[in-house]
Amino acid sequence: MGTKTGNKSIIEIYKATKIYPPDVVAIEDISLSIPYGEMLFVTGMSGAGKTTLLKLICGMEHTDKGLVEVAGKDMSHIKDKEIPKLRQQIGMAYQDFKLLPDRTVAQNIAMAMEVSYQNIKAIRTRITALLQKLRLEHKHDTLAGKLSRGEQQRVAIARSIANSPALILADEPTGNLDSKTTRLVMDLFKLCNTAGATVVIATHDEAIYKNSTYRVLELHGGRILEQAEKSIPTPNLMP
Amino acid sequence: MKFIRTILLQTNRNLQKTWPTQFMTLLTVSLSVLIFSFFFLIYMNMIKAGEKLKDDLRLTIYLEEEPVQEMQMQLVRKITNFSPVDEIRFTSREEAFRSLAAQLGENVDVLDDLDPSFLPPSIEVYPKKNLNTLTQIQRFSEYLATLPGAIKVQYGQEWVERFNYFTKLLRIIVFLSGFLLIMTTTFMVAYTIRLAVVARQAELEILRLLGATNSYIRTPFLIEGFLQGLLGSSLGLLALFFLYSWIQLRFTGPGILQLIDFTFFSPGIIGMIITASILLCTGGGFSSLRRFMRI
Repeated sequence: MGTKTGNKSIIEIYKATKIYPPDVVAIEDISLSIPYGEMLFVTGMSGAGKTTLLKLICGMEHTDKGLVEVAGKDMSHIKDKEIPKLRQQIGMAYQDFKLLPDRTVAQNIAMAMEVSYQNIKAIRTRITALLQKLRLEHKHDTLAGKLSRGEQQRVAIARSIANSPALILADEPTGNLDSKTTRLVMDLFKLCNTAGATVVIATHDEAIYKNSTYRVLELHGGRILEQAEKSIPTPNLMP
Repeated sequence: MKFIRTILLQTNRNLQKTWPTQFMTLLTVSLSVLIFSFFFLIYMNMIKAGEKLKDDLRLTIYLEEEPVQEMQMQLVRKITNFSPVDEIRFTSREEAFRSLAAQLGENVDVLDDLDPSFLPPSIEVYPKKNLNTLTQIQRFSEYLATLPGAIKVQYGQEWVERFNYFTKLLRIIVFLSGFLLIMTTTFMVAYTIRLAVVARQAELEILRLLGATNSYIRTPFLIEGFLQGLLGSSLGLLALFFLYSWIQLRFTGPGILQLIDFTFFSPGIIGMIITASILLCTGGGFSSLRRFMRI
């Protein structure tokens, strides 16, 4: 993981099905291939299965049927020892943010880098740069619990990309943001994609992918409705 | 190096967040160590005093008649055949009288009207240090009582027996307080860490999702256990040392402490108590992590 390897896929999903007890079908018979370095949008209404798909990819959930492979690892049979290393290479921005309210913004972001034992100076530099990019530099020492939802969302995004992961998964990353901040966030994702990261964004905000050339995958009732196959585009960065 | 620095940073954060619970656990560990080491210290000193008493052990055989030279040789042979001895000393009636007169000092005149031969002749036996138990001493004494002409054998039976029972009682107390120390320390530390794990469930969940390894999550808890053991036992021993110094200061002069030469633990024993506490606390923490963390 970490670099583009020709046509090889970073994510391979084959006939994956996920059923929550007692019999709620979240994902049904989905097959999907995502090459290294792609930026992909997963859309669909609430309950379409977007979040479950991301959870299957990052290993938070396991399939009931079918196969999910990330960087060649079968996520249902991956060894316990290999999980941390793989997760360090996956940056996930959760819909519910998963921030620690009693820690500062900087401490929340630092967690992602500390688990891979990065040095303190590098962590500080990276946090400062990310907060500047997301216009949150003045919130560096603010407790996460005291931020607005929009600010918390940006902190969650900053944490997901802090460790420069090879795969970024974002679940409704612009759900609480205004249009200006949405552009900031999307530019950041595009920048990561240009740097080599594969980015998968689950969203129902049509505005963020409407005029883009990225592949869009629409889910409905746990199944793929539509796949707009497009080549990996040249990033459209903000000036 | 990066691992150590990150783990220490994490430990420092944890301690800052959970210091009231940690402090209570520290006090419990200290108190447990204090109780155990208090009894252990008394027990050790009693053992030492027992050794000293054993060195001073002397059995006196009172005889009916003064043995002639040939009889003396026969008695020596019989005694040494039963058990090796350091010394055998014969005391005649006259020598016994002189010795008593010397002990009476100024009050020697009380003996004026007495026959100088009223005291029985005796044999003093100083056994080698191979008589380790009260039973062995008793058996030797019983044997000496069967020697020809022997009336009575004395070796301070009552004192030796009482001392022996007291040492046995202390041994039980030491074992019980040791057991108490093990149970209290292990449970308290395990419980503290369990509380910390439950209180920080959300954080640990996030850490796992971010890719924290088991050692990244576990090590700070184990360091907390290590510190509890180290600081708790050190505080307990320090408290005991102050208590010991106070007793030494308060009860100077002739008394039981002078008799048994009361001393504090050697550095080796101190090291063993601290090491045992560290192992117990770290072990308690580890078992708690295995049970409640499921990582």
